[in-house]
Amino acid sequence: MAALRDGEFAALQSLLKAPSKDAVRQLCQECFSSPPAGLGPLAQRACPGLTADAEEAEQLVSALHNLTRHVVYRGLTKAEDILALFPENFHQNLKNLLTKIILENISAWRNEAQASQISLPRLVDMDWRVDVKTSSDSISRMAVPTCLLQLKMQEDVALCGNSPVVSALTVELSKETLDTMLEGLGRIRDQLSAVANK
Amino acid sequence: AADKINLIPQDFFAELCEQIVQHLNHKIPGVNTAELCQRIQTSGIEISVGDLAKIANIVSFLFSTAARNSLSTEELVTTLGNAVSALPKHALQVIRHVWNEQGKSISVSEDAGNMATVGQFVDIKWKLGVAMSSDTCRSLKYPYVTVTLTVADGSGQLTDKTFEMTIPQFKNFFRQFKEMAAVLETV
Repeated sequence: MAALRDGEFAALQSLLKAPSKDAVRQLCQECFSSPPAGLGPLAQRACPGLTADAEEAEQLVSALHNLTRHVVYRGLTKAEDILALFPENFHQNLKNLLTKIILENISAWRNEAQASQISLPRLVDMDWRVDVKTSSDSISRMAVPTCLLQLKMQEDVALCGNSPVVSALTVELSKETLDTMLEGLGRIRDQLSAVANK
Repeated sequence: AADKINLIPQDFFAELCEQIVQHLNHKIPGVNTAELCQRIQTSGIEISVGDLAKIANIVSFLFSTAARNSLSTEELVTTLGNAVSALPKHALQVIRHVWNEQGKSISVSEDAGNMATVGQFVDIKWKLGVAMSSDTCRSLKYPYVTVTLTVADGSGQLTDKTFEMTIPQFKNFFRQFKEMAAVLETV
């Protein structure tokens, strides 16, 4: 499957007008990180001077987005694999520059892709404290240790975009229920070891 | 919400009251409002989980107050006062019956676990998975742990909260709980 259509590779040639290699680097990063819906505004913002008109700007940004995402999707890590994506008559220096930039960023981009894939809410923070209940309206003296746990969860990143929604869950555990929790977690740990050893 | 009680058929209302009393008696960790609501909805009745939760709250408060004051069935009905006329007959019947049968056995004091202003942890369910592929990465092989915590709120109603953790997060999670247990031993 080709990374890009021929027309898209042609659009990349606009990068030859870039003021510096860093400008190209910056644009690559922004194009990768932007969701498809954000490409329009990105084109307007980032491309004056590089392209003749708005349509060319959008084609450039879209081509860069598709190219970088394709490399991450396929999991390409070697220079020769990336170089092979370009058509034969593509500008040699630009091809080398883009390959270099992609290689520099591939690992960070892969992490970014993993972090933003669809998922259930993710645990982002966990705080706890141990209290001792000494008295209440129904019992005047007691010494009951109890755990208070607060879990912070972030909703699916893909749904929240730039404003992550974090919800907190505060839960009390007694000694008995804490044992239930530990038992469950111990089984997960055992399963992890079993899978790791296979 | 009281008028929503009209919607609930007698046998479902009886089941709700039963669960509430069993929770107050510490026989069950919580009232499974969500599951009960599902069954009520399946039988064709349109009532939301929120409304059922409000009703459960009210009944729970009624029974626990009555227990604390050791009310007899007639005293309980008197307490309802004006609300009695608003309640459908079958609901009042259920309340009387449940209180007659089990009201005396509810012991509200002598248990530290009752002071729930915060959710009480009930159960943990888990799953260990590996994400093989996604729209962003064809070959992922990304392991993760999914956990569902069942929590009983102040009125004893059960809710589930589900979330994911990476493996390093899980290891830290486990370690924190072991620390908590260690501290609990020393207190």
